[in-house]
Amino acid sequence: MTALDTLVPGPLSLAGHRLGTPQQAGALTMVPISGPAHPGFVPPRTGLKLSRVVGYGQVELTNGAPSGVAIVPLHIGYIQDHAQNHALCRSAFLAAGQTLRFDDACCVQESQGGYLTGGDQWFFVLPAELRARALELRGVHGYSKLWADIAELNARYGLPRRGHLEQILSRQRPVLTQFQSRLELQPGQVGALFFLAGRFAGLEIAPDPAYFAEMWAALVCFAYGAAAWHAEPEPPPAVPYDAAGLAGLRGALDRDRSGRIAEIAGWLADAPAGPVDVQEEDRYLDLRLSTVTGPHLAGQIVTGGDRTVYASLFAR
Amino acid sequence: MDTPTLLAHLETHDTPLTLPRGGTLRWDDADLHRAAHTDDPEGYALLGLAPGVRPWQRARVLLQVLNASQAGLDQATRAVLHRTARVLTLGLPPAHVITVLLGLRRLRANHKHTTRIALRFVLEHPGADALIAARRPALVDCFEHALGTATARGCARRIADGDTASDYLQRRLLRFLTRPHAAPARIRALYDAGTGGAAAPPGPALALDTARDRPPTVTATNRGDIAATLVHLYRGGPSESLYEALGRYVDAAAAAFPRFDGTVALVLDASASMRGYGTREWAVLSQAAALRMVLSQVCARLEVVEVGGDERAPRGATDLAMGVLDALGTGPDLVAVVTDGYENLFPGDLARVAATLPRAGVTTPVVLCHALFTGSDDLALRRPAPSLPQRGFWHQDDFAELLPWMLGHCAAGAPWLRAALRARLDDLDRRADALAPGLAA
Repeated sequence: MTALDTLVPGPLSLAGHRLGTPQQAGALTMVPISGPAHPGFVPPRTGLKLSRVVGYGQVELTNGAPSGVAIVPLHIGYIQDHAQNHALCRSAFLAAGQTLRFDDACCVQESQGGYLTGGDQWFFVLPAELRARALELRGVHGYSKLWADIAELNARYGLPRRGHLEQILSRQRPVLTQFQSRLELQPGQVGALFFLAGRFAGLEIAPDPAYFAEMWAALVCFAYGAAAWHAEPEPPPAVPYDAAGLAGLRGALDRDRSGRIAEIAGWLADAPAGPVDVQEEDRYLDLRLSTVTGPHLAGQIVTGGDRTVYASLFAR
Repeated sequence: MDTPTLLAHLETHDTPLTLPRGGTLRWDDADLHRAAHTDDPEGYALLGLAPGVRPWQRARVLLQVLNASQAGLDQATRAVLHRTARVLTLGLPPAHVITVLLGLRRLRANHKHTTRIALRFVLEHPGADALIAARRPALVDCFEHALGTATARGCARRIADGDTASDYLQRRLLRFLTRPHAAPARIRALYDAGTGGAAAPPGPALALDTARDRPPTVTATNRGDIAATLVHLYRGGPSESLYEALGRYVDAAAAAFPRFDGTVALVLDASASMRGYGTREWAVLSQAAALRMVLSQVCARLEVVEVGGDERAPRGATDLAMGVLDALGTGPDLVAVVTDGYENLFPGDLARVAATLPRAGVTTPVVLCHALFTGSDDLALRRPAPSLPQRGFWHQDDFAELLPWMLGHCAAGAPWLRAALRARLDDLDRRADALAPGLAA
């Protein structure tokens, strides 16, 4: 975990967290992280509910659980048919039973009217390419504030230059959702490192495995999967190993895998590092929600004392 | 005969045989069929009956069997060829059979076994009257080729004059038939120029492949009894009655196959994706487990190598490459990889291992059985080793095609496949007999 410590020095103590065996799906590499489970946090799908959209750019979320604090996942968004899809620019705490209105949410569907309602929801996390800009726009009111960036991203993907995130997420949902099977969640997994085409893309840590499991699809399919799919490489040719006999083949496979794991460790070691600015945004009892900003990464973290409870950090 | 290659061809290459007016028979894969027949006439003919073989390929098998000489074949082999040809004439669309018989005319095939099959088709098919009404000129050609034009017309003349059992008719025509009393009326109809313009010939008289009811919506529990019961067990249902039923369902499914006297090593993907989620939860894994259970009864020895988690607790990543190496280490006759196709650790490893096996001196065949949600899953991102033979399955009924395909890949599977297809021929024969009592082979 030394490399993680250098990636985010200072407030993000990842003591007790361990990196697992990497998995790959095309351009996307995921390194599972296991670690201590912090009890008492409400998971985002079963506990956190979108109660309504008050007006464009104004989203209300409710922690419907009888106990436990909810950490609103950073850059979570909701999609429904016949309603203006919305995403949040920031994380937040919600006490049990609490409803919170986010006035700085973004509409992510330029020419669709209608308000999201409480039922029939599925959620995503903003694609990696939009996250730095969305974080900059936290606290800024204006439902259309992310449309230009969405349009630019669509154009980069060869799609019509419009502020419609659904062009990326909804229309390609069947292929994007395959990432949750192309990369398999590990038992006890509380987080993951993500690399896109060999470059550090993000670090995600959840309070416990149940919380992370509920984030899994939103992260691998949409936050990182969308970019990975657009960078999907041709499958490599099946070059035979130079091996004689079954034992020789097993040895060759082992050595090859060790080499690739070492290569991935090298990607992490090579990830840009350095000092970051940490700004506290919210607190709940002894929990602190902070925004991390540095030249190489940004995002938000939740710490409790010297423990990291939640982190959603991405390369800039 | 390369059984896996030939079977794959028979199941996929469905281009019609054609007879251009005044031209030669167009038969684009004649060499393949001829070589397979020469190598193993009985095995070749039986393979034409395998579940899933395309109708035009079955027509080619019929054509090859009737076109080739039986000189030098023993009586048992001739009997199998005859019974196979008879079943095919009843199990193919009549128009296909007519094309074959007209093709034999172009090929000038005049063997006695050809004559017998052709005459029985023209005069004793359960739909013979309707066929004659609809395809009279073509059937006259088939009839005259079978007997020779002069003999055929001589027979027809005698029948028109009231002869039904003369020595002439007996020696030249009736001895080839099983129901000679029905022949005169049909021969009169063949040469009655006043008929014609009837409806198209009916479909096959005998169903060679079991008709399957495809549910309009595939769910986790309408994929066969074994998988449905497993889904309820996985969900934590009352286990005693479910376990009892499961045993019955597996026994019944396994009873459809002969015993395989070899060893199959099954690499069973028990990763998290095999469990699935939402309405599809357990659907794919239950189908894979159903296959394992049936194989455990069919195979003398079944070695199961689970990758990821285990069948009751699927979890983690899929390491198919190491699973295959572990499976090969058990010394099997065949390695079968059962997976949804998502290889996580690392993608491409199975393909590299598969590519290395021949170089490493490993000759054990490895096949990939794709566990699907429906028969039409998008597999673009789910092909971990394109060079391996692969076949999908999503329903218990698919086992009828899957097992012959799997076991046909290994040498130890050859006697199994022959036994399975002989049993199938016996069954088809019995059903053919039931179509028209007295119409025995």
